[in-house]
Amino acid sequence: MANVKMSPIGLMDMLYFKNKKVKREQIIENTPLTALVQDYASNRQAAARHPNSQFFTIEDIQVRGKGDVRTYTLRRTDGENPAFFRAGQFVVIRQVIDGKLIARPVTLSCGPAMTLEGKIQLTVKRVEQDAFLSAYIHENWKVGDEVETSGPQGTFFYEGLRDAKKVIAIAGGSGITPVFAMTNAIADGDEDFDMTVLYGSRTKEDILFADEFAAIMKRTDKVRLVNVLSEEEAEGCEHGFITAELIRKYAGDGTYSIFAAGSQGMYQFLDGEAEKLGIAKKYYRKELYDNIGRPWMYPGYPMEAKDQVFTLKIKMCDRHFEIPCSANENILVALERAGIAGPNRCRGGICGWCRSRLLEGDVFIPEDSDGRRAQDKLDGYIHPCASFAVSDLSIEMPLKK
Amino acid sequence: MSKFDAVVIGSGTAGLSAAVSLATAGKKVLVLEQHNMPGGCATSFVRGRFEFDASLHEFCSLGSPGNWAMTGKLLMEKYKLDIDWCLVPDLYRCIGTTRSGKHFDLRMPCGVENFIEAMEKAVPGSGKPTRTFIELAEECSGAYDYFNEHLLDGVDKKGFTYVDEGLFMKKYPNFLKMAEYPFNKVLRKIGMPEDAIDILNVYWTYIGTDYERLSFVHQAWMMLMYIKYHPAFTKRTSHHLTMAFVKKLQELGGEIWLNTHANKVVSDDGGRIVGVETEAGFVETHYVIANMNPQDAYNKLLDKRIKVPDREIKRLNAQKHGVRFFEAYVGLNKSVEELGITDYTIFMPGDLDTEKNYAYSKSYELNTHSVVVIYNVVNPEASPVGTTAMTFTITYTEDVWGTVSQRDYVKKKQELFAKVLENFEKDTGIIIHDCIEEIELASPWTFCNFLGTPQGTVYGFEMTQWDTMVSRLLTLRKEQPIRGFKTCGASGARGDGFNQTYLNGDDMAQLILEEMAEDGKEGK
Repeated sequence: MANVKMSPIGLMDMLYFKNKKVKREQIIENTPLTALVQDYASNRQAAARHPNSQFFTIEDIQVRGKGDVRTYTLRRTDGENPAFFRAGQFVVIRQVIDGKLIARPVTLSCGPAMTLEGKIQLTVKRVEQDAFLSAYIHENWKVGDEVETSGPQGTFFYEGLRDAKKVIAIAGGSGITPVFAMTNAIADGDEDFDMTVLYGSRTKEDILFADEFAAIMKRTDKVRLVNVLSEEEAEGCEHGFITAELIRKYAGDGTYSIFAAGSQGMYQFLDGEAEKLGIAKKYYRKELYDNIGRPWMYPGYPMEAKDQVFTLKIKMCDRHFEIPCSANENILVALERAGIAGPNRCRGGICGWCRSRLLEGDVFIPEDSDGRRAQDKLDGYIHPCASFAVSDLSIEMPLKK
Repeated sequence: MSKFDAVVIGSGTAGLSAAVSLATAGKKVLVLEQHNMPGGCATSFVRGRFEFDASLHEFCSLGSPGNWAMTGKLLMEKYKLDIDWCLVPDLYRCIGTTRSGKHFDLRMPCGVENFIEAMEKAVPGSGKPTRTFIELAEECSGAYDYFNEHLLDGVDKKGFTYVDEGLFMKKYPNFLKMAEYPFNKVLRKIGMPEDAIDILNVYWTYIGTDYERLSFVHQAWMMLMYIKYHPAFTKRTSHHLTMAFVKKLQELGGEIWLNTHANKVVSDDGGRIVGVETEAGFVETHYVIANMNPQDAYNKLLDKRIKVPDREIKRLNAQKHGVRFFEAYVGLNKSVEELGITDYTIFMPGDLDTEKNYAYSKSYELNTHSVVVIYNVVNPEASPVGTTAMTFTITYTEDVWGTVSQRDYVKKKQELFAKVLENFEKDTGIIIHDCIEEIELASPWTFCNFLGTPQGTVYGFEMTQWDTMVSRLLTLRKEQPIRGFKTCGASGARGDGFNQTYLNGDDMAQLILEEMAEDGKEGK
């Protein structure tokens, strides 16, 4: 056994050990009895960056396109700056309709610099198939009203450490909003990359932000806009769909990233075109499509479940509920209809905020919306926003506040 | 109204351990978690086709079936958890320049003899003192094991943990003599060459104190555990570990309520705990374990009718907040084979100089000290075929990020990582910047957001020279003075790390079980 002495006399080492705790007591005893610190710089910064809720007053409403798109300018009611964000991110609008809390993600259509003026902008297209919120907003939101959102969310943004310096943005219809936000960020100096926007609309009349784009391109030469019209031919515009050929034409030589924002249909088409281009996964990024519906459109769906209404039993802390659950809508919508939806954000199966434990029954999860963790797949956890009942179900879910 | 034998607030590593420990003893336990996910640091997140482990790099003191080390015994024998472990074959690779100006790029192996041999090869003349170091570490490890077994046996007249000095004098004399001296002081005493000391110092970020000040026993024990039992991690990220606890808790009749914040631990006028006010309503209980920093527990959670002793306030004012992190989670679209990566952990301190590293960790500009972990080297399932999941960790010992502006925040994160990445590519010759498919950069703000700890610290309180693990363990009961209420986690006696916090959760469960038994006798 080693015999090591730290001090000339071994006994001193023993004393050193013995005195250590006594010395510690003395240090504590000699420390002032001041009140414990409650907050710190980083905690304050984090709270400002990632608020759970933000309350806004509607300052301005601008009607766009054919009247089915509106941009709402919102000012933080408490006078603070809204949370700074990455251009391309969204907030979740939380709106009580008929006594039920409805939540939907809406892209921030301004650049993040606008938060420094105390404001943000949200652009909302009225979509009939999701009448829950967009129609309500268009019909009810008026200047002076107070509205609630989450903090900024989502991972659809430019990241210089990952993406090519040159970006081809492909936007379909109202999918232009995150792209428009990115071009603002470039003009404001908050992002630094070259972006060519291939913007697909049906007709010239459907084009959104035309004047704003013109103004941005005056401020920066890093942004280029190409309108692609599918239903009419017009001077200065491309005609048809956004094909591999068209992408190649505008991308030119060298590496580029594709940033796509649009509908499920657009993505299905674009996936094929991306394959023709042989573009690596890393250079092909898509905005989520929210509120997944029509599960029978996805491969592997058990068709016999379609149109059925199942029973959904819920355990939430020490409360129990039993509600109907349509096979045709995702489970989170059923919870929302019953007024008991818990936390949720992306509505696309990815963020995991609505994660719940499946106790009994079977669900269908479209493969490309399955953002669950590996262990959760094994343990039978589901993300209700991307899960569809195909039998009666029993789940345990996080608390609805 | 719900009623539980005990309520655990917070489902971090220590909280879940406390909960499963109580449930194992037959108690009906409720865990409250303010997030929608359980686990605290032991969690993961998904980006594209990658799932990143938020925090687990090297689990310490696991052991193997039939030969479990301290924490392995707790998780696998006492709790009987169902976990798929991965063992890391080697200890670490470290690249840097020692204080004497010598550049090293070393791969250190596990296994005592291999390790001694590698040290002798790296720094001639260090083999013999390394053997002495291992012997001393073995003795300290034996002492820590004994200490661990008898930690709660009782207290002496002054309220310190009872230590059988006679037994220690006989069996672990070197522990008594040197456990509390600084690590490097002991190494010098046993004749360790300075270059070898620098190589043995690379672990400092695992504890967060430079090794001119950290107690010998703390590092010696940890290092011996890694050398003998290998670093470990779990197959499907540390969320797998968390879910093993959650499933065990549920199997034993316990519950976990997610997205449910505990607003207040409520007492009666006499200061006896009667329940917890939660966002889901009032829950009746007489016993609460809070998996949080005691500073926050006393400030924000505890009923004002419960008197927090002055000594506790003074203690918390005296202690210094531990380490915060910048963490880069990186998914590559090439495999480790394609990239030629063969090391699981790479320490890249730049300078192999623990005091300088510690000093630089107070600065945004100077600090580029990173620890790189590449999961796929050991676990091919860590990410999809043809890809690699890795993390870079940068350590801060002050609230460096507090002054960054909201607008500059992203740029600051990117600039820092770009520097670290450049160093990585230069030092290893492995080029990865063009194959990054996913990347997430987490700063101390991120940890503030998810953990809610003061300054986003992950390590609780710094293990400074006066505030050591041993002296905290000797003061364990003094620092849990409120009847029916205990705090656990990295801010506890054993400090940071999955292994230490799991043990600490169990310690606090034992204290609560004791109080339950005493109250039971008194008919409360």
